[in-house]
Amino acid sequence: MENLALLWGIIGPGVAGAVFGAGWWFWVDAVVCSSVQVSFLHYLPGIFASLAALMFNAVNKDEIGYDYYSPYGDDSEWRVKLWLFVAYVVSFVCLAGSVGMLVQDALTDKGPSVWTGVAGVLQCVLVLIRYTVVNL
Amino acid sequence: MARSMRTCLHSGRLALLAILVSGGIVLQILACALYNNWWPMLTVLMYLILPMPLIFFLGSNSPSMMSNDGDTWVNFTKFLTGASIVGSIAIPSILKHAGVIGWGALTMELSSFLVFGVAILWLIQMNSEDEYSSAF
Repeated sequence: MENLALLWGIIGPGVAGAVFGAGWWFWVDAVVCSSVQVSFLHYLPGIFASLAALMFNAVNKDEIGYDYYSPYGDDSEWRVKLWLFVAYVVSFVCLAGSVGMLVQDALTDKGPSVWTGVAGVLQCVLVLIRYTVVNL
Repeated sequence: MARSMRTCLHSGRLALLAILVSGGIVLQILACALYNNWWPMLTVLMYLILPMPLIFFLGSNSPSMMSNDGDTWVNFTKFLTGASIVGSIAIPSILKHAGVIGWGALTMELSSFLVFGVAILWLIQMNSEDEYSSAF
């Protein structure tokens, strides 16, 4: 079990990069192969999901512990938790928005391949937070 | 093993590595030239990003790449490597999906990627065993 943790520590960022890349390349594939012009509104969940992933990564995991002495005073761990909360909210809103767009587009004639793109972009959020969390 | 024998083997391995890399380049260019369709050259962009961890960290203490550290730049280059691995598989697949290239060009692209991957893995392994043998 120890070896697995070590191995994950070595290739973790690589796997995160791979899934992030896979997410965005699925999106590129959906835009290229769609028969109609994909409007800018559809790009938004992907962009915000990547921003949320960056927000997740900006948090140093040690800062949420109870013994952390920060330069802002003794009770400032609420800032980190607020940051994480906003990141979670943004990522779930992106997920909901993409599902909504899928349903809305399926009623007209152009939806189906847009979903592969957006789902791909959203799984990149999950992997980026996984690799920072597992690194403990 | 005698010293001269070891250096002979070492330079033999380096020559084989160079042959592998040039074989990969030939496969890549053949994938474009045989079908008179220069779109697969986009993958070259990905191949430029692929060996970045090696380029940046080959000179410095290379255990920092294989170990479980938290250095941000090492993690970022591993991230780029993961993304470019997926990208070099994804670009030919997207081109095939959009109907820009054919099956033959796709298989040549993928095999060129495999050849590059084998060459880079071998280079990493040769580098790490250099560390061990030069300690004597």
